[in-house]
Order: sequence, then C-alpha cells, then structure tokens
Amino acid sequence: MKKILAAALAAAMALSMVACSTTGSSTQGQSGNTGSNNSAQSSGGSGAYPTQNVNGIVQWGAGGGTDSLMRPLSALAEKNLGKSIVIQNMTGATGSVATQYVYDAATDGYNLLMGAENPALYDVLGISELTYDNFECVYLIGDEVVGIVVGKDSPYSSFTEIVDAAKAAPGTIKLSTTGTGGLPWEVGAFITDVTGAEFNQVPYDSDASAKTAVMSGECAFTVCKVQSGIEDWKAGDLNFLCMLSKEPVEIMKDVPLITEEYPDFEKYLPWGPFYGVFVKEGTDAAVIETLAKAFSEAGPAESYQEILGNFNINFLGYTGEDAKNYIASWRENTVNALKNSGALEQQ
Amino acid sequence: MLEALSYMAVVFREPWLIALVAAGTCAGVYVGAIPGLSGTMAVSLLVSFTFGWETHSALAVMIGVFVGSVFGGSRSAILLNIPGAPAAVATALDGYALAKKGRAGEAMGLATSQSVIGTLLGVLVLATCAPLVANLARNFHSIDYLILSLMGLMMVGSLSGRSVRFGLIAGCIGIFLGCVGVDGQTAIKRFTFDIVYLNSGVDYVVAMIGLFGASEALIQITDMAQAPVKQKVDKILPSWKESAKFLPLTIKSSIIGVLVGALPGAGGDIAALLSYDQAKRSVKNPTSPFGKGAVEGIIAPESANNAAIGGAFIPMLTMGIPGDAVTAVLISALTIQGLRPGPNLISQTPDLFWLIVASLLLASVFLLVFGLTGIKAFTKIVEIPKGILMPTILILSVIGSFAIRNSVYDIFWMFAFGFIGYFLKRFNYPIAPIVLGCILTKLCEENYRRGVMLEGSIRGMIGSIFTSPISIVLFALLVFLFATQTETYKNWKAKRDAKKEAAKA
Repeated sequence: MKKILAAALAAAMALSMVACSTTGSSTQGQSGNTGSNNSAQSSGGSGAYPTQNVNGIVQWGAGGGTDSLMRPLSALAEKNLGKSIVIQNMTGATGSVATQYVYDAATDGYNLLMGAENPALYDVLGISELTYDNFECVYLIGDEVVGIVVGKDSPYSSFTEIVDAAKAAPGTIKLSTTGTGGLPWEVGAFITDVTGAEFNQVPYDSDASAKTAVMSGECAFTVCKVQSGIEDWKAGDLNFLCMLSKEPVEIMKDVPLITEEYPDFEKYLPWGPFYGVFVKEGTDAAVIETLAKAFSEAGPAESYQEILGNFNINFLGYTGEDAKNYIASWRENTVNALKNSGALEQQ
Repeated sequence: MLEALSYMAVVFREPWLIALVAAGTCAGVYVGAIPGLSGTMAVSLLVSFTFGWETHSALAVMIGVFVGSVFGGSRSAILLNIPGAPAAVATALDGYALAKKGRAGEAMGLATSQSVIGTLLGVLVLATCAPLVANLARNFHSIDYLILSLMGLMMVGSLSGRSVRFGLIAGCIGIFLGCVGVDGQTAIKRFTFDIVYLNSGVDYVVAMIGLFGASEALIQITDMAQAPVKQKVDKILPSWKESAKFLPLTIKSSIIGVLVGALPGAGGDIAALLSYDQAKRSVKNPTSPFGKGAVEGIIAPESANNAAIGGAFIPMLTMGIPGDAVTAVLISALTIQGLRPGPNLISQTPDLFWLIVASLLLASVFLLVFGLTGIKAFTKIVEIPKGILMPTILILSVIGSFAIRNSVYDIFWMFAFGFIGYFLKRFNYPIAPIVLGCILTKLCEENYRRGVMLEGSIRGMIGSIFTSPISIVLFALLVFLFATQTETYKNWKAKRDAKKEAAKA
C-alpha cells in the first residue's frame, strides 16, 4: 500500500513539475524573444499565423457575463482559425491585471485580451496607465442597454420624480452603485450633467447586491443592465422607470425612453457596456486580419446569436476602423459627462 | 407535495444522473482536499465542459462536485494541518490535534458523518422554508453585515490559543493584508506601490495555503527526526450513542450554517468559523480542551460548512442572487443553459428546483460512501515519510496558489506567507487569526463605510440599528457575546455558581 501511494505521489510530482516548467518556459520565451518573434511574424506574413494555440485572457471570472460571451465565441472562432483558443480567466482590479498581462506579452497575436468596457476608462480613473488605446480591437461583439430601476414599493413612479426629489434635497436620494468607475456611477454622472440633480451614492460590491439594496429599500434607485434586471422586473420586484436607449427595448416595450423626459440625454446615446476581443498595439496587421476574419465569421452564427439574445446583447460585430471609432466615441462621451458632472474632480 | 416528489423521482429513476452525482461527489472530495483547488474552480471548469449537455445532467455533476469539495477541505485539514479550503480552517484546529494523537481516522469519520447531517439539514431548510429564509436574507442591511463581521472578528479570542495578545497581533496582520489593493468603493489604490499585480490585493486562499501549507512543510522539514504518528483506524464511524449525544450541537451549528450560507455577503467559511466559536463558548465540558483535539471542534464547523450549501442555494433559486462563489458560477451555468435565474425560477421551472434538492440529497448519500471508504487510504498519507510528503505539499501549494488566478505573483505571495507562518509558528503565534482577518476585512470595512454613507453620519448609523428587528437581535447578541467574555461577568458568574453550590450543600 505504502509503495503504491509513494509511487503515485512521485508520479504526481513529476507531472506537476513538467506542467510548471512548460508554463514557465513559455512565458519566458514570450517576454525574452519579443523582438525575434515579432520579426518572424512580419516576415512570415499571414500565412504563418497561427502556428500554435492562442491564449484568450478573460478579464473577469469564469461563469461571469464577459466569460459567458467569450467562451462560446472562441469555440466557434477557433474552428476558423485552425488552432485552439485556450481561455484563461485572470481576474482582479477591475480587469486591469489581465490587461497588464496581455500588454506585457509579445505582439505576436498569441495572447488575446477578452474584456468589457472598463479599460476604456482606466487612465481617467487612475486604475492603470493602459487603456484600449494601447490595444487593437480584433472584434467588438456588442453592447447592452441599461435602465433606471426602483423597488416595487418605491414612492417614485417616474424618473422625473426622482430628479425633482433630488433637486429639492440635494445629496439625500440614495443611488446604489458598484463603486467608483462602475456602471451606476457612470450613469449617475450623466444624470447629474444633464439634470443637475445630485445623489448620495452608496457603493456595493456587485450589481446583484446593488440591485438587492434597491429591492430591500436600503437605496432609492440604481442603474441596471436589462440582462440583470429582467427577471426581477417580470416578477414585479423591480420597476424599470426608463431606458438609456434611442429605441425601446423589444422585450420591455412599455418602459419609456429617458429622452422622453430629458431630451438632452440624446447626446450621450447610444451608451452601454460593451464586450470585445483585443490584441496589443503594434501587432502585425496581417495577424489582426486573420483573427478578425475568424471572429467575424463566428459572431453571426445562429448558435451564438441565440446566446446574445439570451443575454440581451445588441449585436454589433465591428472590426477595424468601425470598432476603433465606436470605442473612441464611447470614451469621449463618457469622459465628457464625468468631467461636466464633477465626478472626475478628485482624480 | 406529490408533484414535488414526482419531480424529485426523476433523479432517482435515471441511473445516468445518479452516476453523475456520484462521480461529481467523488471528484469533489479530492478537489476539495487539495489546498488551492477549490469547488468554485472545479464548477467553473464544468460550466464550459458541460456546455453542450442537457441541463439536468450538467446540474447533477456540478452539485456533486460542490458538496464533495466543501467536505473535502476537512481531509487535508485533519491529516496535514492544511485546510483544503477556507471553510475548513476551523476544522484544522482540533482535527490536526486529533491526528497527532493517532486519532485521524476517528476525526475523518466524524467529519464525514457531520458533513452528511449538515448537508441534509441544509437541504431540509431549502426544501421547506426557502422563501422565508430568502426574505430574511433580503432584509439583511449593511449594518447587519457589519455586526456579523464584528462577531467574526471577536473570534480572534477563540482562535488565539494560549495568548490573546499574540492572537490580536496576528489578527491585525490579517486585517492589514486585507486592505492591500484597489478599494472597491472608491477605486483608490492602497499599499500597492504602483505595482499593477498588487492592485487585486491578497487572495485569502493564497494566504491560507502559505500560512498553513508551506509553513507546515517548513516546520516539518526542520523537524525531520520526529517520526510520523502511527494512526489507529479501527474506530472510524462514530457510534449512534455518540452521535445522539452531539446532536444538539450538530443542529445548532447547522442552523448557523444555513442562515449564514443564505446571506449573499457571507458563505461557508464564515459560517464554519462562527459555529466553531459558538461551540467553544457553549460546550461546557468538551472531550478535550478546544484546540487540543476536542471532537466538538470538528462537529461544529463541519456540520455548519455543509449546511451552508443548502443555504447558498436559497437566494440563488428564489431571487437569482448568489449565496456564495459556487452558486454565482451555477447561476451563469443556468443562464448558458437558456434558463432565467430570478424570482420566477421556482414557479416557472419547479422541476429544476426539485432536481437540485434531489441531487443534493443524493450527493450527501454518496458523501457518506466516499467519505468513509477512503479513510484508510487517506490515513496512510500521514504515515508517508516526511522526505516525500513535505516536498509534495510544497509543490501542491505552488500549483494551488497559481491555479487560483493563473498568476505567478500569487506563488511569491504564497512563499512569503509560508515564511511568515513559519516564524510565527516557531514563536508560538497562532496563525488562524491572520486568515480570519484577511477574510473579514472587506466585509467589515465596506459595510461600515456603507452604513455611514447611508445614514450620513456615524451617529446615524448607530441609530439605524434600532430601526430593524434583525439589527436589534444581532446587536443584542454582539453585546451578549462581548459581555460574557469580560472579567466582571466571569467574576459575577463564579460567585453565583458558588452560591448555588452552597445552597445545594
């Protein structure tokens, strides 16, 4: 018995050492051979890429919203690519750990950053020096619509009522957020900029707990993705007061648009969290093209569109200049609003 | 009711589903036993692995893994003094002490039976009064979480062993480490020195692996002369009489487990620690002193952390809000399967609710099977020569800490914690309070700040305690816990007991 166990343990050790050394050497290779890899790629042209499996580094945890969009897409795209896309979740610090990791790797196209909108604001929030300006967008999957929500026992039946209440007593109406830089915080800045109303922003650790705070009456209102609020809305626990969108959301046709009450919101719309696949800046154009082709053939596939539908994501499917322009105008709008509302003053 | 039974019967009629739950539970026990490999990790791997499967099968295997892994953490805690998961930190205190006395088999048998009872009680609550508990969890405000975390922090006293002063120092180290990283509420960096990899802070699982795993290996290596303890394996299953004697404690601990597990902001790890503390306070004559091999010190955390499983499913199934990290992953698994977790889930898909209940029941049966059959082989681990065992533990610690976030920096952290743990142990400092501090800092600090923000001032926050019945009860409990530890109370109680004795005589 003892011998068998000892042998098994020895085998396990040997295996794990092999595993450790392979990961070790591959990362070393990436950081050490940046230059040579680069030149090999450019001289080899698009025909040479990919010669090995590609790493997909997801900014958020396994099973989260971003992860759930990236895994099925990669499964489709790798068929077009001819090599596997190996998904790794690298979480932490609003996704900046993964962003830094991909930036530190070589520009050979073998490390893809799979992320949400957050890096577009890293520099203004002081989270990191890096933003999506330091990356090339391979494929922009789509974006989401968000709305203003209150609990079912809320005294407010329209967004205007909330704004008026906040103007009557500035800084007392409680808006539950997911912290500085989170979605409700951003939209809070838009609202302040457009309407002049100021709120008492109370941060929670996730959108689920910010939502629960509204349902329990701890806070007056929050901002919620359609995806995360729809079931509570159907059950009558949450009430969507209005949508930050130019067009009504199909499944919630009766919910008014924010522009009906405050037309000035027009300048910030369409606005919502977005999801995309990126590579480090300076990656060979041919490599980006190969990747973009693989992903843009995968995106419109019926099985993937069904997943997007389940998550209530508006499909965009942008590559190249379209994607770049989308992100640039998203960032400009958001930063402007944050500055105008004073949300960025302390930074 | 009949309807419910027919939905549950689906699982018992399908050999395929039974086999999946069994396989999941078995794998879960081993995943849980390896420090660093966690149930959360295994279940998230399964999400992509079972992507194309039919919902029932996918859920069955994930639930098996969940139940198995929560229990598995106790294995390495008892045998090696290395908790396989944060929820087993409390189990290590008395479990390892028992193993040192050659009673590891008994300790593991006890952990198994208690985990099974805990799981069953948790499922019972889930099946019978989920909406009631969900309502309680939903009305748990920031201030209530703050009080809960303060109760948790008071446990530094319970975990300190000989000297409370040393325990406090260790607790402070933990709290300090818990502050490192980008603050979630304001996005301001604390103690990061502009190093991006410090932004995400110190993962408390990494701290746990280093402090318990690596430091234990270092201690044992410097202590090579000491021969491994020969383990008795004749008495594994606790007798009925014994189980009956401890049943009140099991039930009390399980209730703590379900309730804490049902809170979205607190999970099995906090439940296990709180119930250990509760046992230490309430059990008058433990079989051995706590920390030196009290079986009560295994019963309480082991029944609580498994009861927390049923608890964690309550907010997930009734509101679509995860009760802990694993149920968070399960929610996305359901979403990928085309289901809509939320308040309508139970009414729209009652079959799913009862499938989960039935799978949990099955998993607890298999837990009994795999938990008890593996004991003899597991006890052999302790008897492996140290020259082989200790390097293996170090390697597992490296793999485990890397696997959490795929970050090489976590390996450095793990070794740093290993060395800190080594020296603290050498100088008789308790190390459990460091992990406690790391786990509770965020809960305590964020809810304190939120409480103040909600009411606008500290005075307003304290006042808000008296506006909700939950807060009043918790606050009274906190005051009671604190007061009963003071010298004044102890003197008064000693006098009263003496008087009673005198009256009797």
